[in-house]
Amino acid sequence: MIRLEEVRVRLGGFVLEDVSLAVPAGGYGLIIGPTGSGKTTLLEAIAGHEPLERGRIILRDQNVTRASPESRRVGFVYQHYHLFPHLTVEENIGYGLRHATVAARAERVAELADSLGLIPLLPRSVRGLSGGEQQRIALARALAPRPTILLLDEPFAAVDPATRRVLRRELRTLHEREGITTLQVTHDFEDAMRLGDVVAVLADGRIAQAGTPESVFRYPNSAFVAEFIGTGTVLRGTVERSGPGARFAARFRSNGLDLEVVAEREGAAYAVIRPADLLVSRTITQAPAPRNRFDATVTRVERGSAVALVHLDAGGTALLAAVMTTTAEELELAPGERVAVAIKATAIHLI
Amino acid sequence: MPIAYCLLSLACTFSPMHLRTTPWSLALWLLAALLVLFVAGPLLRLLLQASPASLGTALRDPELIASIWLTILTATSATALSVLLGIPLAYLLARVPFPGRRIIAGIVELPVVVPHPVAGIALLLFLGRQSPIGQGLGALGLEFVNRVPGIVAGMLFVSAPIVVSAAREAFHSVDPKLERVARTLGDTGWKAFRHVTLPLAGRGILAGAVLAWARSVSEFGSIVILTYNPKVASILIYDRFTLFGLPAAVPAAVVLLLIALAVFTLVQLLAPGRVEHR
Repeated sequence: MIRLEEVRVRLGGFVLEDVSLAVPAGGYGLIIGPTGSGKTTLLEAIAGHEPLERGRIILRDQNVTRASPESRRVGFVYQHYHLFPHLTVEENIGYGLRHATVAARAERVAELADSLGLIPLLPRSVRGLSGGEQQRIALARALAPRPTILLLDEPFAAVDPATRRVLRRELRTLHEREGITTLQVTHDFEDAMRLGDVVAVLADGRIAQAGTPESVFRYPNSAFVAEFIGTGTVLRGTVERSGPGARFAARFRSNGLDLEVVAEREGAAYAVIRPADLLVSRTITQAPAPRNRFDATVTRVERGSAVALVHLDAGGTALLAAVMTTTAEELELAPGERVAVAIKATAIHLI
Repeated sequence: MPIAYCLLSLACTFSPMHLRTTPWSLALWLLAALLVLFVAGPLLRLLLQASPASLGTALRDPELIASIWLTILTATSATALSVLLGIPLAYLLARVPFPGRRIIAGIVELPVVVPHPVAGIALLLFLGRQSPIGQGLGALGLEFVNRVPGIVAGMLFVSAPIVVSAAREAFHSVDPKLERVARTLGDTGWKAFRHVTLPLAGRGILAGAVLAWARSVSEFGSIVILTYNPKVASILIYDRFTLFGLPAAVPAAVVLLLIALAVFTLVQLLAPGRVEHR
């Protein structure tokens, strides 16, 4: 279990302020945030490399706020691996096991090397290895002493997309097999969606929002979070009540767009529209009929292997829709094409 | 003009493929060759001056041999002290931000710009029998003036900046995060330093230590003021030159030069980061 209570860390002119976060035992937490938001500093504070000005760090139900890094029994993997260049792959992996017997060390190194496909590399120097290989070695090295907590600093940032997919899968498997409470720093919400039980969005040294990846993605609490995690289109406008009740029917007006929404307060607001909630067609025939229907012009189509992102212009307002790639082809979506767009009032999240 | 002609021919013959023969490249090669000639010429001349017979005699000269052993012993002691005291200082300067770090770094570099006789006078005032420190150490049996420790002090003063500078650069080149990784793997601060940082910085520190040793061997200015006797090799050579002239000084000078050349070769072999840019 990792629990941070109102943690404050000062690093030069940068301050990590009032950070509270909990990852349950065996859970997988993710910290996402832009560059310079304090993600790595937070991990280094948990590992004991940066002293706290205030707050507490609880690991495995023990207050380790003032404990030395070596006594915290935390595995740490840096973005750029930081393998020991004067040691072989085998020596790197076994570094944290120097107090174990030779046989126990060899067995653990072989076990990890086997599960991460590193056996042929064991006698080699770490110099000249690929990014993916180095990342696997760094991961094996961190896991070798069987830490119950693993801290990962952007572990996939420096590898190619194919390796990233494989590493992500391997990491999840190892996490489940070893039962390690893991906290990973990333700037990629994709990691959070695929790996995380808990996600915290960090901005300027503070946690902007924390929760399950699904809740943060569906219900971002600020325009910053929505834009950073790439929830979809964030529109700035005003809400005007059109129905009774605490949760009422309303009109949201932004630029040239006038949408029916379900709101809880009036006035200035941001509307977050997920790409998958925008229905794109040549003519609107979907049922149940969404309340909001309007025409738009396709400005760009980004075709992925499964999903195509369709950039739209609705009366001067830019929108982003996601459709199946096959659908995009069937609809012959291309820049300049006019399409019909629909969205349910309840699918528009107001902040 | 024949020398200039030879250098010009050399420049044309050996200029690399990517350095086309332009007035700029010619000037470059010419000026570089002049300096090489200026440094190598006198040393070569000195080596050629000593006959094998005179060298043999020199190597059987007990005073010279004793002087060379004294030089090696004191230079090694000064280098060991430079390393022992210089590594902690270099590590602090490279890794720990503390108030006055730049001032401390400047103070340590000062001996490089202080003329060596001036260093000798300063050491005499600081460690001599007239100073409280000299008296205190004297009471403990550690005398400096005209004693072996005085030689070591003079050598330490001029060679310590070399070790500190080399070690600081070496520590700079090692990513501090490697130590952090080692600590999360169970190492204490000292063990992380010993198992990770020191081996990685070791080559640079060793090269600095060898250079400091060579600098100690060649030291004259400060030692001549602090400890004229017993004589280290540089003082003995100077002594023979002033008393008996050039023929008496040359064989001893050649022996010392050969030792310096051996050390120089060692430094070249140990120097870190020697990269051939092609």
